[in-house]
Amino acid sequence: MTGESRKWLRFRIFTLLIFFLVLFIALISRAFQIQVLSGKGLKNLADRQHTKTLYIEPERGIIFDRNGEKLAASIMVDSVCADPSKISNPAEVAEKIASVLHAEKDPILKKLSGSKNFCWLARKIKPDEAKKIESLNIEDVYLVKEPKRFYPNGELAGRLIGFVGLDCAGLEGLELKYDNYLRGAPEKLTWARDARGKRLFPRIEKTSTKQDEGYHLLLTIDSRIQHIVESSLMEAITEKGAKCGFAIVMDTKTGEVLALADKPGFNPNKFSSYGNGKGINRIISDCFDPGSTFKPFLAAGALEENIVTETSRFNCENGMYVVADRVIHEANRKKYGSLSFYEILKYSSNIGCIKISEKLGKEKFYHYITQFGFGSKTGIDLPGESGGLLRPAHKWTRVDTSTIAFGQGVSVTAIQLITALSAIANEGVLMKPYIVRAVVDKKGNVIKKFSPTPVRRAISQETAKRLSLILKGVVGESDGTGKKAQIAYVSVAGKTGTSQKFDFARRAYSSEKVRTTFMGYFPVEDPQIAILITLDEPQRDKWGGVAAAPVFKKIGEQIVTCFKTNIRENPFTVPVEDPLYKNPNIKLVSTPAIVTGQSDMDTNDEPFMPDFRGMTIREVLKKANEKDIDIKVVGNGWAVSQEPKPGTSLKGSRSCTVSFSSGY
Amino acid sequence: MKFDRRLLINFDWMLLLLLLGLCVIGILNIYSAGYSLSDFKQETLYVKQAQWIMIGLVLMGITVCIDYHLICRYAYIIYAFSVLLLLLVALYGYTTHGSQRWIMIQGFSFQPSELVKLTTIIALAKYFDEHRIQKSYNLKELLIPFFIVFIPFSFILKQPDLGTALVLLIIFTSITFFVGVQWKSLVLAIVSVLIVTPFSWFFLKDYQRERIITFFNPESDPLGSGYHIIQSIIAVGSGGIIGKGYLKGTQTQLKFLPVQQTDFVFSVFAEEWGFMGALIVMVMFLALVLWCLKIALHSRDLLGMLISFGISMLIFWEVFINIGMVLGLLPVVGIPLPFLSYGGSSMIVLMVAMGFLMNISMRRFILHP
Repeated sequence: MTGESRKWLRFRIFTLLIFFLVLFIALISRAFQIQVLSGKGLKNLADRQHTKTLYIEPERGIIFDRNGEKLAASIMVDSVCADPSKISNPAEVAEKIASVLHAEKDPILKKLSGSKNFCWLARKIKPDEAKKIESLNIEDVYLVKEPKRFYPNGELAGRLIGFVGLDCAGLEGLELKYDNYLRGAPEKLTWARDARGKRLFPRIEKTSTKQDEGYHLLLTIDSRIQHIVESSLMEAITEKGAKCGFAIVMDTKTGEVLALADKPGFNPNKFSSYGNGKGINRIISDCFDPGSTFKPFLAAGALEENIVTETSRFNCENGMYVVADRVIHEANRKKYGSLSFYEILKYSSNIGCIKISEKLGKEKFYHYITQFGFGSKTGIDLPGESGGLLRPAHKWTRVDTSTIAFGQGVSVTAIQLITALSAIANEGVLMKPYIVRAVVDKKGNVIKKFSPTPVRRAISQETAKRLSLILKGVVGESDGTGKKAQIAYVSVAGKTGTSQKFDFARRAYSSEKVRTTFMGYFPVEDPQIAILITLDEPQRDKWGGVAAAPVFKKIGEQIVTCFKTNIRENPFTVPVEDPLYKNPNIKLVSTPAIVTGQSDMDTNDEPFMPDFRGMTIREVLKKANEKDIDIKVVGNGWAVSQEPKPGTSLKGSRSCTVSFSSGY
Repeated sequence: MKFDRRLLINFDWMLLLLLLGLCVIGILNIYSAGYSLSDFKQETLYVKQAQWIMIGLVLMGITVCIDYHLICRYAYIIYAFSVLLLLLVALYGYTTHGSQRWIMIQGFSFQPSELVKLTTIIALAKYFDEHRIQKSYNLKELLIPFFIVFIPFSFILKQPDLGTALVLLIIFTSITFFVGVQWKSLVLAIVSVLIVTPFSWFFLKDYQRERIITFFNPESDPLGSGYHIIQSIIAVGSGGIIGKGYLKGTQTQLKFLPVQQTDFVFSVFAEEWGFMGALIVMVMFLALVLWCLKIALHSRDLLGMLISFGISMLIFWEVFINIGMVLGLLPVVGIPLPFLSYGGSSMIVLMVAMGFLMNISMRRFILHP
């Protein structure tokens, strides 16, 4: 080999060396690209390939009312699923399954013929069917336990509770609002599989962020009151030919909602048979013109500002008053001459209210309305609440100011009205309404507690008391508009209201279609319960005093009678360990004695025997001491009966025999 | 033949070290590829591979001992013998996976196409050594070397084994370039190849066409022909920087990867050892190839230089095509990764080839008698 050719070959080898280096660098950079730059994405892809995950829902929490009554419960039932990609003879399998489930074969066959590796064949089947499916023992057809929601009371509080969809997610009502507490974290079953789909090493992984099991809800709702309210309301709807009706019962001191009914009812067990949107709770979402029920809030402002007293007189223009270009009449074309402030509310004079609002001025008026919470959401723990419609004062025309004075041209929700009324009853303090008292886990530990929340003081205590007495006159006096709401032995304050519905077709207020409302609370001396009844488009007795007030009376009477004796005989129990019972911070019943009667207030002039029923011995003795009554104690526990009866005049003797019982 | 002490002194320990290192990695990797989470009985390919390595090392030792000049005296005979084996394959070979590549000898299956790679290199080296030309070769002078390659090439193509056939062709081209071709001849060759290439499409088997289409667009058929390459990229990529750990490669262990012990053995390694591992192995291969080139550069005569150059080419192209395929840079062609892929024929032939390199390397200072 010559030196020159050798040199030439060396040159070639070096060139080649560079060429190799370049190609190797190409390989290395490609590996870098795949492994370092897109490694993460490819890793996810790989994980998806070799792991298979199935989520199994845990048992959903139970919804209890305030007495421990189950309003919603879950039972574990079987669902059938399959892996169609593994099933070689779908026709045969479909045939077998269809015959067991008494179902059509074709839809099942269609599902099984797909190439996916998971599908549901039937959800939430009956236990005997599940047993049969199990005994068929078909490969790649499985049974999975799923919770099925069940509402033992059917329609009772149906819209309030809402319902749960097929996939265990709350879709409406409390089930939706508290879904993340009720639902719990699904159990995650993960297993690795090889390329042939063979299942290996099943392992159970749980998602760690949430609790495993669903939590229970304890409501403020008392299903007994709820039942009373719903049946009375339904009766009235049928009797008056109304389209629908709402009723709310609220604890005035705490803002706890004791009953919330929206009739005609809704049975969450059969939610799918109702149309879309039929499960919506209209009490918190429907807005309407409050009509005369709005007047007390105008009156509150006027009293608070000291521009009127109960006896200030206003000229009611003989039933006809011109504001700007509009002529305003009284309801039912009544004609009033001069009325006192007290009478204006008693007779519910529209023109009188306009006069008051003119004196108060729209800015102040607006201020007090908002103080009572109108125009903004109450913050109740239900989904889909509306805030009503209240335009700011600077946009009000003179006519607006006048009509808003008697509740037209402003729209509110039922829950806003009852909350605002409760503020008057609660000595001027506006409370936030709520429905869930506590969230407890399955062991009975309190996870979250909801306590009464004051929002603000709307008016002074003094004003509230004065207004309360005026509203008492509305019901109590024989010529008051709300006299049909009177309850025997109980002093009731309230206000009627009938609002014409706005006819969107004619762009005017309809005189045919009305919404009639009564709201009130009792006993006036120490208000415990506020009730609001509203009937939508009643065909008979359109005026509030006539249609809605009797419903109020009926509900009120039943609450009064049944609660005096029963409330303590059934102490609250939680199924597992009764957490609230152990925790004295949460009162089982926030208003311990929904004891009513004219006793307290009226003792000044006419002394009556107080109602001891429902009290403990200690409470009875304390009360008796105040009234200077001799008590004879029989038995122990809670007072169940007394002699003489409550309300008996104390003029004769000042002694009483009270029987106590521990309730069982 | 008398023993020369200098042979021992000049023994190429570096080369031995590199190839042993690669062989050890290969065995561990094949163990992992056969180690399956799904069934606990392990495939024992790694034991067989170890046996092949042992046999290979013995044959390598024998090759080292015999002066390569002596062996090359019989280069054509050896070459003819290997072509005869190919003929036997074509006549009596047995078929797996749709191609006829193996012949059974005493219960062992043997793949003559592997052997042919080496014998062709030696035959070409001998030819070019004997037909030296002052400057460079023209087409007519290259006709015989072309036939030396073309005969086994057509046999292998017929099997069909496109990958091995291509490697053969590439080796021929590389060696020809190395010895020198006239510019005119080169242009003529390139032009004729360019003309023939489109027609060759019609001679390709369906599965081969599919592979080429798949290479350009693997997602077109992810569960069919694109499956290999997609799975390979997923496996390699999911290894990330540091890998999933030895025996923990999910894509390998759960059998998502195809032919994981032979052609796609590098994916297994890259999945479990990550980019770092892949980099180390690639650097080792580069070092091996450069070391082979160094041997070529320092070899004492043209024959040694041509043989060692041819062998470096063989290793380089096989490594490049295999890893390029695994990483999705090149279309899927069945070429094993030297020292890492499972396969007796390939391993033994490579060991003998390494023996040649050591042979040439340690005799670089010895004058031929």
